Amino acid sequence: MSTPVLAAANVTKSYRLGKREIPVLRGVDLALMPGERVALLGASGAGKSTLLHVLGLLDAPTSGQVLFDGRPVHDLPVAERARLRHEHTGFVFQFYHLIPELTALQNVLLARMMATSTLAYWRTRGAARAAAMDLLAQVGLQDRLHHRPSELSGGERQRVAIARALLAEPKVVLADEPTGNLDSATAAGVVELMFSIQQQRGLAFLLVTHNEDLARRCDRIVRMRDGVVQGEPART
Amino acid sequence: MYRLFLAVRYLLTRPINLLGMAGILVSVWALVVVVSIFSGFLQQIELHVRSASADISVHELPAWAEWTPLERALRDDPNVADTARRLVHYGMLSRPGQRPASPPLLGRSALHGGDQPFLFVLGIDAAAEARVTGFGSWLENPEIPAELRVADRTRPLAADAGRPRVLVGLERLQREGLHRGDTVVLTSGRLQSEPDGQKGLQQVTLELVVAGAFKTHHGGFDGNNVFVDHEVLRAALFPDAPDGVQEIAVRCRDAATLDATATRLQRAVARVLDRGDDRAYGKVQTWREKNGQFLASVEHQRGLLKIVLIVIMVTAAFLMLATLSMMVTEKTSDIGILTAMGATPLGVLQVFLACGLTITAAGVVLGLLLGTVTSVFLEEIRQFVLWATSIDLFPLKVYNLDRVPCAIDPLWLLQVAAMALAVGTVVSAWPAWRAARHDPLVSLRGN
Repeated sequence: MSTPVLAAANVTKSYRLGKREIPVLRGVDLALMPGERVALLGASGAGKSTLLHVLGLLDAPTSGQVLFDGRPVHDLPVAERARLRHEHTGFVFQFYHLIPELTALQNVLLARMMATSTLAYWRTRGAARAAAMDLLAQVGLQDRLHHRPSELSGGERQRVAIARALLAEPKVVLADEPTGNLDSATAAGVVELMFSIQQQRGLAFLLVTHNEDLARRCDRIVRMRDGVVQGEPART
Repeated sequence: MYRLFLAVRYLLTRPINLLGMAGILVSVWALVVVVSIFSGFLQQIELHVRSASADISVHELPAWAEWTPLERALRDDPNVADTARRLVHYGMLSRPGQRPASPPLLGRSALHGGDQPFLFVLGIDAAAEARVTGFGSWLENPEIPAELRVADRTRPLAADAGRPRVLVGLERLQREGLHRGDTVVLTSGRLQSEPDGQKGLQQVTLELVVAGAFKTHHGGFDGNNVFVDHEVLRAALFPDAPDGVQEIAVRCRDAATLDATATRLQRAVARVLDRGDDRAYGKVQTWREKNGQFLASVEHQRGLLKIVLIVIMVTAAFLMLATLSMMVTEKTSDIGILTAMGATPLGVLQVFLACGLTITAAGVVLGLLLGTVTSVFLEEIRQFVLWATSIDLFPLKVYNLDRVPCAIDPLWLLQVAAMALAVGTVVSAWPAWRAARHDPLVSLRGN
């Protein structure tokens, strides 16, 4: 049996609200295998997004471990966690989070700029630009390269966000309700696109949603309730 | 790479950031221009004062001081090229039969002089004075109209048919409507022993013929001094002191060693005037020391202006702080995605710090350039404004100048740049630090 690309082992997370300790994750075990598409399903407040943030090293667990390729990574130094995020994890969010000052192409290229010095980027800018344009063409935005987010529709913005998540060729994509802000027709198109790219590239894909229909299209459904994974064995 | 790229994009898409840059630009510009003008003004003032001064002056001599031994002692110094003695007294000048004008408020004669009836009467040996100071050139100043020029420049104070002559500063002469050959009355006084043993003030009146005008570059000197022949003044005021002297002007061979020379001469004067009473008589000062208070007052004004302008720079920095803080507040939503894409808090800090430093650097560079260009072409700008609006921004006559003075000090430019960059860094650091501490999850959880 292969090693999960990303796993949570007995992860807890609680927040302090004044003098109260609010538990959000209560001992979560979850494993994401290479090329696997997993849906994380649950009601609002179940802890889905928090788990996604912990798995994506955006937030630290209160206890437990986050493992990347079998290696504990949750307590690495800040810079090392940032490098892992950049190199191996792509994020897609409900509200796209595109930078409004940048064009679609620049938003995607920003992912390449994150990891390189000015000089190194300048040397390879041609290749970076070609890769970004290729990705934007794959998501059907070859004619919208130089448009700013304010000039794009919701579906187009999310496609730019998908292209941005993929430019660094990550092993894992973490998507937090990526269609939650789209109408059903647009959402269907975005889902088809995501799943098709996921299959082509063999990405591990964790999709946070509360859409049962969408969840059923994944390899596996993990349900969460009150910070606990229900009825899903961990593959650690 | 992303730090600089984002910083530039943020700045280019937010015209309000120009406000911060404009504030820095204006304050740097003002610091360059105003201080350059004041430095140039100070240089001009020094030149003007220098042109009307001897290298070294010996003054505050006691009433019993004698010229011959003092001169001998001074000439023994290897750096002394020549000396000239002076009598210095006070008086009022008026036309015969007229009362002198009422005195104006105190302190008005600092720069210009000549607008009050009281003046210094310098009794000089014209030939000796010409060897020691610029006296000869003061009589030949091209600004003196031909009809007011001295007729015989080799003997300007020689008596006119037995009547002693007086040389008057050009502006005073013109203001009072005097001409060469006019008769004026010098009213002064001297202390005289009364029969009861007390000393009383006795009025002395001298009728003098105007020999012509003199003009140095120092308006204050011209307005406050008149020259008469040494022997005329001595006979009128100090008839019992044939070898008396009140001030000695000294010309030095090497002007670069005036301070050391003055120190030696002070010792020489003290030796000559030593009466064994533990008192030091006579004071030897270089031209700079003698006018030190006046020069220091201009220097002091420059210092005060620097402080005022630095306060303006700090105010501009607060403007920048406000615009940067606004930007950080607006851009907190970007911090979440930047972090998700691999930015560290330090990277986020650097993005916003780069914004502030770019604003500061642009303001400093443009301010320095604009300030330097403005300083260099200040006279042309003044003339243009005068031509276009009839407003004289810098009335030259008030300051006895030919053009707006300007002296750009590269060290000052560096100091201004360093100061602006330091202030800009400090005010950029706080919003940047706030951005770096922002929890990215707050922005990622939803708009």
